[in-house]
Amino acid sequence: MDVSYINPFIEAVDTVFTTMLDVKPQRNGLKVSDGQAKGPLVTSLVGLSGQVSGVVALRFPPQTALQLASRMLGTPMTAVNDEVTDAVAELANMVAGSAKAKFNHDPPLELGLPTVVDGTGYRLRYPTKSVWLEVPFTSNAGNFTMEVTYNPN
Amino acid sequence: MKALVVDDSLTIRRIVIKALGMVGVQEATEAGDGAEAVKAMQAGGIDLILLDWNMPKMSGIDALRAIRQAGHKTPVIMVTTEAEKSRVIEAIKSGANDYLIKPFSPDQLAAKVKGILGAAAPAS
Repeated sequence: MDVSYINPFIEAVDTVFTTMLDVKPQRNGLKVSDGQAKGPLVTSLVGLSGQVSGVVALRFPPQTALQLASRMLGTPMTAVNDEVTDAVAELANMVAGSAKAKFNHDPPLELGLPTVVDGTGYRLRYPTKSVWLEVPFTSNAGNFTMEVTYNPN
Repeated sequence: MKALVVDDSLTIRRIVIKALGMVGVQEATEAGDGAEAVKAMQAGGIDLILLDWNMPKMSGIDALRAIRQAGHKTPVIMVTTEAEKSRVIEAIKSGANDYLIKPFSPDQLAAKVKGILGAAAPAS
């Protein structure tokens, strides 16, 4: 399996977090995801469509989501509320958009609107034929993971 | 000087409004989608538009076309994740005056706004 499609997404995480948050994420490996949340997680998902079908999901422990939202909004956030989910939704949107530009399809891929899931111990169920890659990150704002599926149509 | 800040993300609207303050634009109206933006333009009094592309109900590019078709010449800066060259060309052809790709720093946005306002200022 060619997993090189993950690289533009990893570069996009670096660009978005550095530019918008002054946070330098460090990548820690790569594995196939089973979609299972370990404990409470705020998950932000954005779909890509066109010549490929894809989804990028950013999965944050609540403390990381609060740290990131506080930086984006410029005010301390203490609970996962609509403002925090809006902030993490926009992060996923920018990561997806930045990655799709690097693929440079003609016509450009279409971005869906972000969706945020907030809960504990839930599992994202992926269609059986899709393979999801998981990239864990550490950062000075906390740990998080990115999960991506990207399939040519 | 009054700006119309159009983005479905409250977070981005806040970041944009803060950056506008850096260049002396202290008054801003917000819109969460293209349809709201078109409505805000009908109400009048807008000197500058910061416009996202991907939004529910009406996209930014459709709103831009509607605003230009209605005869408004207000400067428009697209502020969007749509970074492909063909998208930039499409926006400029549709009447955008400048284009800023997300992610952006407040300084980058401030520079774009300064450039637009400088170009729009009457010669002394």
